[in-house]
Amino acid sequence: MQGVKAPLIRIAGVSKHYRSRGSRVTALAQVDLDIARGEFVSIVGPSGCGKSTLLYILGGFLRADEGAIEIRGRGIEGPGIDRGVVFQEYALFPWLTVEQNIAYGLVNAGMERRQRDETVRHYVSLIGLQGFEQRYPRELSGGMRQRVAIARTLACEPDILLLDEPLGALDALTRETMQDELLRLWQGTGKTVLMVTHDVNEAVFLSQRVVVMSKRPGRIVDNFAIDLDRSRPREELMVSDAYNEMRNRVWLAVRREAMAAAA
Amino acid sequence: MLGLRAFVLRWSSLALLVAAWELAVVTRVADPQFVPALHDVARALLDLAFEKDLWEGLAVSTMRALVGLALGTAGGVLIGTLMATSARANAFLGPLVATTYSLPKASLVPLFLLWFGVGNTTNILTVFLATLLPVVVGTYQGVKSVPQVLVWSARALGTSPLAIVLRVQIPGALLPILTGVRVALGFSWVLTLSAEMIAAKTGIGKLIFVYGESGAYAYMFAGIGMILAVAYAADRLLVAITARLLHWNDGIAAHREGTA
Ligand SMILES: Nc1ncnc2c1ncn2[C@@H]1O[C@H](COP(=O)(O)OP(=O)(O)OP(=O)(O)O)[C@@H](O)[C@H]1O
Ligand SMILES: [Mg+2]
Repeated sequence: MQGVKAPLIRIAGVSKHYRSRGSRVTALAQVDLDIARGEFVSIVGPSGCGKSTLLYILGGFLRADEGAIEIRGRGIEGPGIDRGVVFQEYALFPWLTVEQNIAYGLVNAGMERRQRDETVRHYVSLIGLQGFEQRYPRELSGGMRQRVAIARTLACEPDILLLDEPLGALDALTRETMQDELLRLWQGTGKTVLMVTHDVNEAVFLSQRVVVMSKRPGRIVDNFAIDLDRSRPREELMVSDAYNEMRNRVWLAVRREAMAAAA
Repeated sequence: MLGLRAFVLRWSSLALLVAAWELAVVTRVADPQFVPALHDVARALLDLAFEKDLWEGLAVSTMRALVGLALGTAGGVLIGTLMATSARANAFLGPLVATTYSLPKASLVPLFLLWFGVGNTTNILTVFLATLLPVVVGTYQGVKSVPQVLVWSARALGTSPLAIVLRVQIPGALLPILTGVRVALGFSWVLTLSAEMIAAKTGIGKLIFVYGESGAYAYMFAGIGMILAVAYAADRLLVAITARLLHWNDGIAAHREGTA
């Protein structure tokens, strides 16, 4: 599917170094990755390999030290509402209620009151937090906060979703529900998604492509195209041979990198 | 019952001081010429309560303290935010803040007296300078400690770089800012009274000074007692406002438990 037209996101030879207290840490080394419009790509790799860093660069919060990044053929000037980000740390505004957090971007976009209330109500029910609208983040569990962060980003309907372990704090059941929602959203809207996850099952279940990164300095070492029929129900898909074979291949690649990181 | 016990514990140090004072004077351990008996202070207070001098003095002093504090807070938040968000502003203003921080602002009163004469300007300017720095420091530390990802997520949700200051950095820094304001509030009374003693015709500080000069010590202590009561009430009010503004904050419980 790729290669025919120009990719939506083009990452070429990107490197990033952090300087802290005199020493220099190379977080990313020569990362190349193209993502087509409407594609769902997952990144997996050992902790500390630079996954969040890559997302921050795409978000426009950090600049790459080397290489080129283009979105729709243009360089990144800074953050933009075309790219919605869910941060690993959720980054909710602690002084705003659940409702106000979700409405934050809508207010900025100048959405009219009635429509805004309706949108917020929709996303509150999507994440299953009815009754918690007036609570503050400190009154929520980690998993609840994470769901609010997802809702806050989805509510703005950005073209590109940059998700940093967006379901990492959820229990198994809620996680699967949210995965289904994410899948449905992606299938229904044609958004482009780049998601970081530690869960190989999640990556294979959701993505069209799974990218495996090496330990720090992060490079891309594997790139699996996942060709599964996602119109099938979850139970059927997850027990199918095609799914399991793919899952095992990705798992082995991830394991190899994790072992290398531990060595 | 726990409430009563806490109440007794909370006020017992003050009650002990009062009792020791009265006892020392009544038993002549302390010379009543130098320390008035507490019941005399109480009588003086009752006396003063019917005079407009005391109330006018309190009103003028409170006005000076609060106007100075308001200006100092506004300036402090502005300078602190500037220093925390711009490396250049920090490099420029940092040394100035650090060197003037420990300067006793009251020592500038004679200078202001020379420039602005006796009156509100001199008094308020002194309070302004004294309250400015704690708020600068609180704001600077507060803004610096706002997590980077909060700023980033606000940017990704369409907040302009300028609006980030008002919508993310100052709300995120509110607890340290208000802690700075609380320190500044304490300073504001100290500096109002010090300035009034040197450079004013009105105010409770002037009143206390005149009573002291003329040897009316019971009245002097009555004036001191009044200003203590006002300062204490103002502090409680600020703590209550802080708790209200920051009900969403994790750190607020510790702040509220801080000195009664
Ligand atoms: N602000 C910083 N200053 C210095 N080093 C940093 C900074 N941020 C990240 N690093 C380093 O860069 C490397 C990559 O960090 P990054 O957060 O991108 O990893 P990650 O792949 O997202 O890890 P995880 O899976 O644990 O979230 C890490 O080794 C980290 O120590
Ligand atoms: Mg990360």
